[in-house]
Amino acid sequence: MLVKFLATYRQIAQCRSFELPAPPTVLALMEELSSRWPEFRELILSKDGTDKGDDVIILVNGRHIEHLDGVSTPLTEADYVVITPLVAGG
Amino acid sequence: MARQLVVDPKKCVGCRTCELVCSFKHNEEFNPRLSNVSVFHYEEAAITVPIMCLQCDEASCAAVCPTGALRRNADGVIAHDASKCIVCKMCVNACPLGNVSYSPAKQKIFKCDLCDGETWCAKYCPTGAISVVDPNEVPDKKQQAADKLKAAVEEVCA
Amino acid sequence: MTQANGWIGTILRINLTDGSIKREPLNMQDANDYVGARGLGTKYYCNEVDPKVDPLSPENKMVVMTGPLTGTAACSAGRYEVVSKAPLTGIIGAANSGGHFGPELKYAGYDGIIFEGKADHPVYLHIDDDVVELLDATDLWGQGVHEVTDELNERHGNVRVACIGTPGERQMLFAAIMNDKNRAAGRGGMGAVMGSKNLKAIVVRGTHGVKVARPAGFMSEVTKARTMLQEHPVTGNGLGTFGTEILVNIVNEVGGLPLRNGRDGSYWEDADDTSGERLNETHLVKNQGCFGCSIACGRVTKIEGKGDLDGFGEGPEYEAGWSYGAACGVNDISAIVKANFICNEQGMDPITLGSTVACAMELFEMGAIPESDIGFPLRFGDAAAMVKLTQMCADGEGFGQTIGLGSYRLAEKYGHPELSMSVKKQEMPAYDGRAIQGIGLEYATSNRGGCHVRGYMISPEVLGIPVKLDPLETKGKGAMLKTFQDLTALCDSTGICLFTTFGIGLPEIAGMYREAVGSDETDEEILLKGERIWNLEKRFNLEAGVEKDTLPPRLLREALPSGPAKGKVSELQTMLADYYEARNWTADGIPTDEKLAELNVTY
Repeated sequence: MLVKFLATYRQIAQCRSFELPAPPTVLALMEELSSRWPEFRELILSKDGTDKGDDVIILVNGRHIEHLDGVSTPLTEADYVVITPLVAGG
Repeated sequence: MARQLVVDPKKCVGCRTCELVCSFKHNEEFNPRLSNVSVFHYEEAAITVPIMCLQCDEASCAAVCPTGALRRNADGVIAHDASKCIVCKMCVNACPLGNVSYSPAKQKIFKCDLCDGETWCAKYCPTGAISVVDPNEVPDKKQQAADKLKAAVEEVCA
Repeated sequence: MTQANGWIGTILRINLTDGSIKREPLNMQDANDYVGARGLGTKYYCNEVDPKVDPLSPENKMVVMTGPLTGTAACSAGRYEVVSKAPLTGIIGAANSGGHFGPELKYAGYDGIIFEGKADHPVYLHIDDDVVELLDATDLWGQGVHEVTDELNERHGNVRVACIGTPGERQMLFAAIMNDKNRAAGRGGMGAVMGSKNLKAIVVRGTHGVKVARPAGFMSEVTKARTMLQEHPVTGNGLGTFGTEILVNIVNEVGGLPLRNGRDGSYWEDADDTSGERLNETHLVKNQGCFGCSIACGRVTKIEGKGDLDGFGEGPEYEAGWSYGAACGVNDISAIVKANFICNEQGMDPITLGSTVACAMELFEMGAIPESDIGFPLRFGDAAAMVKLTQMCADGEGFGQTIGLGSYRLAEKYGHPELSMSVKKQEMPAYDGRAIQGIGLEYATSNRGGCHVRGYMISPEVLGIPVKLDPLETKGKGAMLKTFQDLTALCDSTGICLFTTFGIGLPEIAGMYREAVGSDETDEEILLKGERIWNLEKRFNLEAGVEKDTLPPRLLREALPSGPAKGKVSELQTMLADYYEARNWTADGIPTDEKLAELNVTY
């Protein structure tokens, strides 16, 4: 499964994207990223670790997880995840 | 306690918020021409530099003042006493850094007094380009050099 | 002279035909009802000008207006507005700009300037506090924006300059007014209006101050708003670090980045090559703030070692990065930066210009424009051709003149008006209304034609600010857009930057406004002024003969071929009905007499 990082998350992960075996859910993916790069933990997970943080946007196949099943959204090898800090422009 | 303003042009984004809040704090109007701090923009170099009174130890403005209107107070600030000032503008000419100013509109002399309590230019600076420090606590350049060396040694040993 | 309510209290009226210069007291009733800047400028304009006026005739007027917060320490309060009938669209054109010019005008002692008539030779307006004079600009005519700004600074010393380049002189339909060199009152052709009046520049220096009604209360509101902006991830960090161009990747990832004039959908494999992340790696020198702005999203950029492309300037913003990038299928970031430099140096709207080049590329590839008309092949992805055509447009040379018509008139000339990605003849910016339904509704209903900054639905639909709406759904979009449009009209009219609304909302804007002007109105009463402004603009547009609220057929009929929104078209009609209902207008989108009376819109 492909995970792509945007904005400042690229500096944390030291890469633009990477492949990993699909964790069962988005939450499991967040946990895996946080153990791989500890700096991610407080950025992408809520304080109690049961939800995503407020300032992170997670897309699964281009859809915000808010419009899927949130952090319970299941993942498969064919899925494509984008993770970015909240950014804006205009 | 002595306080000193420290400027870091690398952090300055040229927004001039310092000019706005300084003029307001001292005049209750937003007017960069009445600000004790001014931001200078070097376009080609893409650098902006805030400049304000550094409360010199050997203060020319105070030395030249014929009426004693400019004196160092207990906080180490060269304070301006308008009641003693005859607006002769000798101080304006004497300051080698141009940090004592005269307003033709207000017919008064003005300079940085570090504000009573919080220093507004530092408080409102969005990037920390202006900060207030205790001069005794200004990071020693020697210390910084030592820190760098230590990091280099660590890297080599690792 | 200066009032203690955010205002100076004086308007300048400059008649360019007879050279007269008059000072008038600010109309305080209108200032209270229409806030300032965009709202008040529009009110002045509507009071004085026939909606049927030819925008480029001497009978048209141009209003430059600041807001009650402009020049104060309110967050990002460096804005002013230029209001006139827009030559590109034939409807109201209100163009907003930052930098340092607007505050300086107030410090000189004027809330705004009304320009009338037409000078018989090139002139510029010089304001130095009480000295206001029209000076000969014959020697400046023909100069670019940067050149004339430097020259006028040399001549008058430490001044702020708003001016036009040569496209404005030629009355090119999307010429911009540029201030502080790289800040633009960009859309709709305000630069052409200025050029039609033989007015090259406005030069200002001021030494007075701006006072507010309740100083302690004001600073308390300012501190609250500034703290919120500093603590918000977007306004406190993201925009300063990456600028607006950071949107390229995320908008692309949700499938909303229109590719090759929208012909090839809105998902692009090469998007990252043109992203904000990439711009930081390649061309960014540093970020910079407009007057009083803690967000500091401005990009100081440089191109080195690229031969003809080399240069120094600012930007691009996301919209220009898209128009020259994805819209033209060009993945060369240096070429994009360069094309944007040309737009800044000569004063042209890069959204319209890049989109028009994209439209020409599609017409060329389908054989509708012969190569002999252009002089060279113009295929999607050809960075060199894109930059060349941008320069030709700036210089009014060859096919560049046709590009200068904008995409609607260009596509019409070659028999395919449907391929202009515009609404009411103004090009839509960098979001696909098929993948992000609400922004399509915004384009269709915006009072200045295709435009994203009248009600920025990307906030809720893509970013989740202040709430997350599903971009593929239509439900709730009409009501949300109405609120956004009204709040935006209010924000623009106060004199603060729209970008503050990523971090603050109505309570903070209303709070600063109240303390500045000395009002005790509720938040809701203040928001109602935004709705009043919106209805006034709409009323003017109806009198001017505005086209109906719709989108290009491509968005309504051609389903997206790929990406997360695959298969979608814009469901505009459904959303329009909800929107008109939320506005309490007729089913045809006309403000009723009752609504106008309720809002006290007199026209």
